[in-house]
Amino acid sequence: MPLVEIRNLTKEFSKGDEKITPLKEVDLTIEEKDFLSLMGASGTGKSTLMNLLTGIDRPTSGQIIVNGTDITQLSRGRLADWRAANIGYIFQTHNLIPVLTAYENIELPLLLLPMSAAERRKRVEIALEAVDLSDRADHYPRQLSGGQEQRVGIARAIVANPTIVVGDEPTGNLDARTAEQILELVERLNVELGMTVFVVTHDPKVGAIAARRLHLDEGRLIESVDGHPAFVHDAVQRRA
Amino acid sequence: MTLFRFAPYVLKSLWRHCARTALTVSGAAVALFVFCVVGAVQGGLESLTRQSQADQTLVVFQENRFCPASSRLPEDYARTIAKLPGVKDVIPIKVLTNNCRASLDVVVFNGLPPGKLRAARDLELLSGNWSEFEGRTDAAFAGQAVAQRRNLKVGQKFTMGEVTVSIVGVFKSSVTAEDNFIYTHLDFLQRAPGRNTVGTVTQLEVLLAENADPDAMAGAIDAKFRSGPVATTTRTKGVFQRETLSDLAELIGFAHWLGYACLGLVLSLVATTTVMAVQDRIKEHAVLQTLGLRPMRVFRLVLAESLLQSLAGGFLGIGLGMFLLGWWGFSIGAEGVTIAFKPSLSLAVSGAVVSAAVGVLAGLAPGYQAARTEIVTALRQA
Repeated sequence: MPLVEIRNLTKEFSKGDEKITPLKEVDLTIEEKDFLSLMGASGTGKSTLMNLLTGIDRPTSGQIIVNGTDITQLSRGRLADWRAANIGYIFQTHNLIPVLTAYENIELPLLLLPMSAAERRKRVEIALEAVDLSDRADHYPRQLSGGQEQRVGIARAIVANPTIVVGDEPTGNLDARTAEQILELVERLNVELGMTVFVVTHDPKVGAIAARRLHLDEGRLIESVDGHPAFVHDAVQRRA
Repeated sequence: MTLFRFAPYVLKSLWRHCARTALTVSGAAVALFVFCVVGAVQGGLESLTRQSQADQTLVVFQENRFCPASSRLPEDYARTIAKLPGVKDVIPIKVLTNNCRASLDVVVFNGLPPGKLRAARDLELLSGNWSEFEGRTDAAFAGQAVAQRRNLKVGQKFTMGEVTVSIVGVFKSSVTAEDNFIYTHLDFLQRAPGRNTVGTVTQLEVLLAENADPDAMAGAIDAKFRSGPVATTTRTKGVFQRETLSDLAELIGFAHWLGYACLGLVLSLVATTTVMAVQDRIKEHAVLQTLGLRPMRVFRLVLAESLLQSLAGGFLGIGLGMFLLGWWGFSIGAEGVTIAFKPSLSLAVSGAVVSAAVGVLAGLAPGYQAARTEIVTALRQA
């Protein structure tokens, strides 16, 4: 059974009299330890798909089944519980809580899970070490650089050992050098820690590091292999 | 349980805008201080007029009396009244006050025969002794409240108008209002310079037997003296005090609305601050929900912030109120009857409960707003 199964997912908005359909009958399966990138121009529905996958938005129709649970059927409260246990979210703008230290920010998701203080401490320390920020544990977000803030954001996303780590333009606000470091870190999550990673980006460099590359085009999801849409790649393979 | 884990977040969020929080807390403190003062005055009035002792005690004074000075009863009325069946004792009292109208600093001299004072009043001496009081004509016992207010100590002289007494003791009474009295000898006050009131008293306090009917006894006393040299009006002590303080009681009754107005003020103040805090942090609450915080928990976090501000202000105001009321021994009085501002544990507890209720009420709307935040829309905010 796949880790995630998205079936006939449609999302519609109304903007005045106009009806917008960023996602139209989208199907997708994600296996455990997959590394996927979702690319597309602005406004094509990349973030919408990610919001639906993480349960912070509701589809117009269709199903999202994660580990056998159709999350579209969960109430707001149960969806929050589900997110706490299953989703690690890396934001584009870090979105750290400014009044909390790096340590406390990373600890936040663990406060929602049944866990002793000692276990929380151990997990936060491991996460801090994983992003190489053990010496910045007591720093507040304002005392950190953009790259360090994003690393704290990544540590916060992985600390609860979630089913899927999702990233919304995780390098969007960083300079090229810092972005490269963050990408390496995200890649390590998948390769070394075996985490399932789903990244939304419009940056081809970011998209390229993923094993599975998805494109959204007029509400339809297209998976590419070797830089081409999958159906083109398959046709080339057949001719060969 | 989860909420306690978020305590550092709640406290740090309040500290983030420390000036705003401090202003809200101080506003709540002022309002609860006023609430306490109003409550203390009301408590004093209620305790004065609800004394159980008051019901079996009558006060006889000159008919159409306005002020202690306008009541001059022949002292020998006491002997006549004492002979009536159902009367346990009669205490002649001379009252002298510095201000007959409503005032916050009333000094009331009560002149009683020393033996009767000791028997009729439940006084605990905090300093001084009875033998010195009984041995000196100008000796006086000062109630702890007036002693505190006027900084009176044993050995000092205290002068009011042409009357000078020697303070030989400070007492605490079981009746809080009496803590504002200065007790001295009856004949000393009768002979005070310029008064020439020997043989007259301001009022007679009649202690009744337990089975006596106070209203019937009051009627009998008034009937007895209707054709005498001075007609009397007799009331139970409670009614006498209530009638004497009726104007003040009305004002105090009005003031309790002021107390409620203060609570309304705290409610709007804390609610405004909490709404501002929530609007500042719409995105932050969306992030917390994205991380897995249930909407109801976000609601509770906001409620906790509102509650903490209200409680902090409440405790500050109540603490300050209790301290100042206890320390200064405020009282308000008219016509020689005083109402002590009565701070009490029950007043402090009701203040704390009211603060908590206001905090919860003030947090409801902002909490609901935070909990209903659309995550996706809020995350798009800059």
